[in-house]
Amino acid sequence: MALRIPLRAWTVVSALVLAAAWLTLTWGGFVRDLFLPPPDQLWDAFNDLATDGYKNRTLWEHLQISLWRIFAGFVTGALAGTFLGLAMGYWRGVAALASPFVEFLRPLPQLAYLMLLIIWFGIGETSKIILLFLAALPVSAVAARDGVRNVPAQRIHAARTLGATEWQVFRHVVLPSALPEIFTGARIGVGVVYGTLIAAEIIAGSSGIGWMILDAGRFLRSDYVFVGIILIGLMGVALNGALVALETRLVHWAGR
Amino acid sequence: MTLFDTSASRRTLLKASLGVAATGVLTAPRIARAAGPDKINIAYFVGTSPTMIAKGDGWIEELTKAKVNWIEVGSGAEINTAVAAGSVDVGIGIGSAPTAAGLSQGIGYEVVSILDNIGPAEELTVRTSANIKTVADLKGKKVGTPFGSTSHFRLLGLLKTNGLTQKDVTVLDLRPDALVAAWQRGDIDGAYVWAPAKSKILAAGGEVFRTYDKLEAAGYVIADLIVARTAFTQAYPDAVVAILKAGNKALDVWTKTPDKAAELIGKQAGVTAAVAKEDLLQYDFVSPERQLQPDWLGAPGKGGKFAEVLQGTAKFLVEQKSIRSVPELAVFQKGINTAPLVKSLA
Repeated sequence: MALRIPLRAWTVVSALVLAAAWLTLTWGGFVRDLFLPPPDQLWDAFNDLATDGYKNRTLWEHLQISLWRIFAGFVTGALAGTFLGLAMGYWRGVAALASPFVEFLRPLPQLAYLMLLIIWFGIGETSKIILLFLAALPVSAVAARDGVRNVPAQRIHAARTLGATEWQVFRHVVLPSALPEIFTGARIGVGVVYGTLIAAEIIAGSSGIGWMILDAGRFLRSDYVFVGIILIGLMGVALNGALVALETRLVHWAGR
Repeated sequence: MTLFDTSASRRTLLKASLGVAATGVLTAPRIARAAGPDKINIAYFVGTSPTMIAKGDGWIEELTKAKVNWIEVGSGAEINTAVAAGSVDVGIGIGSAPTAAGLSQGIGYEVVSILDNIGPAEELTVRTSANIKTVADLKGKKVGTPFGSTSHFRLLGLLKTNGLTQKDVTVLDLRPDALVAAWQRGDIDGAYVWAPAKSKILAAGGEVFRTYDKLEAAGYVIADLIVARTAFTQAYPDAVVAILKAGNKALDVWTKTPDKAAELIGKQAGVTAAVAKEDLLQYDFVSPERQLQPDWLGAPGKGGKFAEVLQGTAKFLVEQKSIRSVPELAVFQKGINTAPLVKSLA
């Protein structure tokens, strides 16, 4: 408890130093607004985007579209990945079948197969969501698989000795034990999906906050780029917070 | 990071942006050392353009006696960003739309030459089976174009001059290769782009929908340009002259021996000589002498119409919210420097 106040003070200090540097560099005329826009320009840019929108869509529409893509890609990818991972952890055969593909897909940069997705699935929402799905799936699969594998053998044996059926073992022993790792996987997955968003919105954009940042960057509109980055960053923090909240509700026993 | 780099050229940029005379002390030793640069960073597009001969045969290296770092780019926006960061000294083939944006935002570069007047080389292609005969037929259709390009500028100009908005026609942001893919899948019915993507689309069930002549008359002139970082031109004027000389020589090869040029260019661009020639014929390569006329860049200090074209383009970009504001005409006039071009003819 004694450490809490000084730690917070450090956070405040680092924020203040950053803000002071920003103000001095921009308002002091040391750096052109092209490289780093001053705070008043950012505020104007934000107001401008909030009232007039960006290229035929309001800012909220861009945010909504991006959130929907993240949601659709993450939920489908995490669910499919978790089911696959559970199966991989539970049955060695499934692991042998699926492992090479999951391990291959996991480190693969999404931009590498972007072109293929466009050719296969077109330029609409499908290819974008599939891209995000493919980003989320291997992360969740690996987390779920490891979660199952790390269940202490004694627990399973104990349950079997007490006469539990295979399904009961899975439902009441394996799944709850693996759940904390599944959630950790989900949080990493959100991060990966989030990071892939801009790649997804390269595909025939004209909508989404990622596309907005890309398009504004093309014209060196640093003010819009900064506003976009701040929004996308805050959105990421909020998403992670929501997942943590869900986790503490659903797996309140984790770590006990 | 780039702001505090110590290379001579970037230092000059920093000096300009800070307006501090004292930094001159730091730059003096580097500038005094040599008459020519050791290395020139040149950004270019792979495509069918006579300058490809100059690149392929090493004329620029020969004439400037410098090492040339050739940087392939896919869009004018990349050149803008790289020049702003001080990583590119000369940009060959940047479109007039990104250049108008760059000059408006005070990127420290100047237009030193026109490569070509794009004319019909960038044009709308529509799917023959979609039965698009008038501009109004585009309503409800999807048309793709690389955003921020000269083609994008023309397409939006087409909609605007015909009283259509992007609510009527869905305009999609697609890079040239993605355009071809989307076209082949049938996802789009129109594309506004340049060769080789244009040729591929035409070969896959597309036809030319002529827009360029009316758009040019309405002020939507588009061109490919050569830009040079102002600090670079100031430090090494002879190097810029040499680069333009190489370009003039390459253009000569094309005008005097088109078949030989097409073969050389095709080899560089990775297409057959026949395809290269067909593409090259679509462009109007403005000779240096014509560029110096008032209709184009104009003689040094006199100014030409092209400054107005650039300002007009910038006005349009402001309407599109791509850039913040349009500077006055003098900024664009100052952004055109034909002194090296005059010297290149000597």
